[in-house]
Order: sequence, then C-alpha cells, then structure tokens
Amino acid sequence: MTRRDSALRTARLGGMITAAALLGLAGIYVRALMFTPVERTQGLAQKIFYVHAPVAWAALLAFLVTGVVSLIYLFMRDRKLDLVASSSAEVGVAFAVVMLTTGPLWGKPVWGTWWTWDARLTSTLFIFLLFVGYLVLRGALSDFDVRARFSAVMGVMALVLVPFIHVTVYWFRTLHPEPVLMKPERPSLPSAMLVTLLSSIAVFTAMYLGFLIMRYALAVLEDVREQEIVDGVP
Amino acid sequence: MAASTFSATVAIAAKDLLVERRTKTAFFSSLVFAFLVLTVIYFARDRTAVGDLDLAPGALWVAFTFAGMLGLNRAFLLERENRAIDGLRLTPATPTAVFLGKVFGNLIFIGVVELVSLPVFVLFYNVPIWRQLPVLLLVIALATVGFVAVGTLISAMVVRTRFSEVMLPVLLLPFLFPPVVAAVNLTRQIVALRPLSELSGWLSLLAGFVIIFFTLSLFLFEAILEE
Amino acid sequence: MEYPDNGGYMVAAYIVAAIVIVVYAVSLYVRVRAQMRSRG
Repeated sequence: MTRRDSALRTARLGGMITAAALLGLAGIYVRALMFTPVERTQGLAQKIFYVHAPVAWAALLAFLVTGVVSLIYLFMRDRKLDLVASSSAEVGVAFAVVMLTTGPLWGKPVWGTWWTWDARLTSTLFIFLLFVGYLVLRGALSDFDVRARFSAVMGVMALVLVPFIHVTVYWFRTLHPEPVLMKPERPSLPSAMLVTLLSSIAVFTAMYLGFLIMRYALAVLEDVREQEIVDGVP
Repeated sequence: MAASTFSATVAIAAKDLLVERRTKTAFFSSLVFAFLVLTVIYFARDRTAVGDLDLAPGALWVAFTFAGMLGLNRAFLLERENRAIDGLRLTPATPTAVFLGKVFGNLIFIGVVELVSLPVFVLFYNVPIWRQLPVLLLVIALATVGFVAVGTLISAMVVRTRFSEVMLPVLLLPFLFPPVVAAVNLTRQIVALRPLSELSGWLSLLAGFVIIFFTLSLFLFEAILEE
Repeated sequence: MEYPDNGGYMVAAYIVAAIVIVVYAVSLYVRVRAQMRSRG
C-alpha cells in the first residue's frame, strides 16, 4: 500500500470518528438545552458551561499533545511526529477559538464583564496566541527538516511557558486582591448536570481525536504531494 | 574544552559587537527610543490621578522591553545580511559557545542601553533608588538575561523566515510575560521602599524563569544550529 | 421566571460554537478531497 493510500484510509477513519462526534455534539446540544435543569442564580446562560468547559479541556489537550510530541520529535526525529504535533496545533486553534468566544459570552451575563485577567483565562488566551505563533512560524519555513525542528523547539518552549503564565497571574492576583467579582459558585453539580457535562467532555475528546486523525492524514497527503513536487513528479 | 568554549564565546560576542559598524547606530537608536518611551508615558496620564511612582515601574519596563527588542532585531539583521550563521556553523565552536557568545553580545548591547537609561528614568520620575540600587540592578539583570536568552533562540529561528521583523515580536512576546510582570512588580516594591523580605515571592518566580528558560534555550539551540 | 433573563447569550454561544466546529470539520473534509483530486 502506498503512503497515499494509507493516508486516505486514515482520513476515512478520522472522518468517521468526527462524524460520530458531531452527532454526539448534536445530542449534547439537545440534552443541555432541553433536558438539563436551569441553574437558578446564573440562568440560561449557565448552559454555555456545557460547551465551554469541555472545549477548553480539548484545547488544553491539543496543546499538551503538541508540546509533548514536539519534545519526543527532538529526540526521535521521526517526521510523523512532526505531522502529529502540527496537526494537533491546528485542531487546538479551532477549539481555542470556540473557547475564547463562548467564554466571554458566559462571563458577561454571569460575572458582569466580558473578560477578566485571572490565571485560567489568561493562560488559555496565551495558549491560543502560542498556537497561532507556532503555525505562523511553520507557514514561514519551507524546508521540511528546518520546519519540523524549529516548530518542535517552539512547541517545547510553549509547553514550559504556560505554567509560568498561570503562576504569574495567580501571584499577581493573590498579592493584589482585586474587588471580588460575582463569580459563579462551584457547588457539586446535581447529577443531571453532571451527566451532561461528562457526556460533553467525552464528545469533545472524541471530536479532538477525529479532527486530529483527519488533520494528520491530510498532513501526510500534503507531505507526499510536496515530496512529489521536489522529486519532479508531475 | 572549557577554555576553547570560553574563547569561542568571547570571540563570537566580540564579532557581533565590534565588527559591525551598525552597532553604533543601533545603540543610539535604542537609547533614544528608551528616552522617548519614558517621556511619552510620563506625559500620557492625568498627574492628579496617577502619581510618578505608580507610573514609574511600568514605564521603565516598557522602555526596556522595546529597546531590548530593537537590540535583538539588530543582532539578527546582521546574521541575515551576511548569512553569518552559516559561517558560524563551519567554525569548531560548539553550539553552546555560539549560543553563549550571541547571548553575551546581546546582553552587553542591551545592558549598556539599560544602564544609560536608568539615571534618566530616576531623574524623570523622581525615583528614590539610591539605597535599593543593588537590588534593582539584580532585578534588571535577571529579567534582561531571561529576555535575551529566549530572544536569542527565537531570533536564530526567525532569521530563516521571510517576515522576520514581525515574527520576532509575535513569537517572543508571550515569553516576556512572566519576567516582565515579575520585574515590574519588583520594581514597584523597590521604588516604594518595601523591605527585602516582601520581594522574595516575585524574585523567586523571576529567578526560576531565568534558570529554566536559559537552560532550555541553551539545550534547544543545538537543534536550531544543525544542518 | 425566578432566574435572570439571559438566554440570548446562551443562544449566541451555542450557535457560534456550532458554526466554528462545523466549518472546521468541513474544511478538513474539503482539503482531504482536494488532495485526492490532485492525483485523479
């Protein structure tokens, strides 16, 4: 089987997982909107949580994968690892965009403000910016090997940076207490809400895998095509 | 091998600083830039609402950060013009020596800009730093080392790309967040004459960042230099 | 209703999320198809 055929099979697998996850998402939507009780203090807007929290988890997962796989690449130098890392970064950007739009939409009605510079939000914003920087760097490098090596370096640096960002903001806030915003309480969720949340997390994790596999297959196909161009195949 | 690494480091730093005539113009540009930033920020606020000492730490570090980026920019523009990085690869210098040499050269450049800007800053903002000078210098030194280490690594990558002038800030700025925030807070405490014990929190964050990222940049530089 | 009237935000968020996700999924599909077509 050629590399292309293998990649197409992988793409098909990724497509199926993605399709299943999208159906799952529709199910989550129905369950969250119609069959999950409304939270009394926050109102309907609280339901954004069932999308926002799992997508943030998925974005974080994507980020971890990019960072860790980048590190492994630097030791093993297997091109496939570079393709996995970069695929995870692109998928991560998509999830991060959802996270950064749903977050403020939840924050405004519930906390009274679109944005607040707390440790978690600031870290997720930086994860998005680091992803974008990573992809921009890749876009600007044309040599395969250089691109893989340099991306891996950025991936590892970004991975180490984010905990520092978190601690910096946390320290800033604890040493300079700001007026306490009305924050949604986190009591233990009643079981109906918990089930919705956990199901959503499962769906988004599956979606991440589906997207990652498809994006990886695409990366392999693009790689094969680039190689053909280099070899002079029409 | 330590002796040859050291001499290689010094030689590379010297090359960067002395061989390039552009250093002088870049140096004066960075200096003027720092002065301008300090001045503009001073006037860009309501004096009845924001005191000199409230404004000072932020102003200082904005000036240092941007002047520092000009310095890094200069450093890699040299590389670009002459493809010097290829020449460096041919020398027997180890990647460690190349990295340290470049960092050292950048540190001297940026360090001089900072040292010259500092009295101007003290003057403009009426900052009482005489007693606290050693601590302030330590903070400036630490933050600058952290900034330059990561900046040197990223410059070395970015020199290969097409839009390098834009790429350097885009890639570097996230990494400046922890050291600059720590440095600003430390400067604020120093300027407010807080006791040294209060500084330990931010200082440990800054020191931790510098140690970890300097080491990381040093190790990763080898992957950048390979052919 | 005893709870605040902020359903608009919920609708907006759910719609935006769905759009971004579906657009991304479709983009992946389209790009893979483009790779298939380039080789006939």
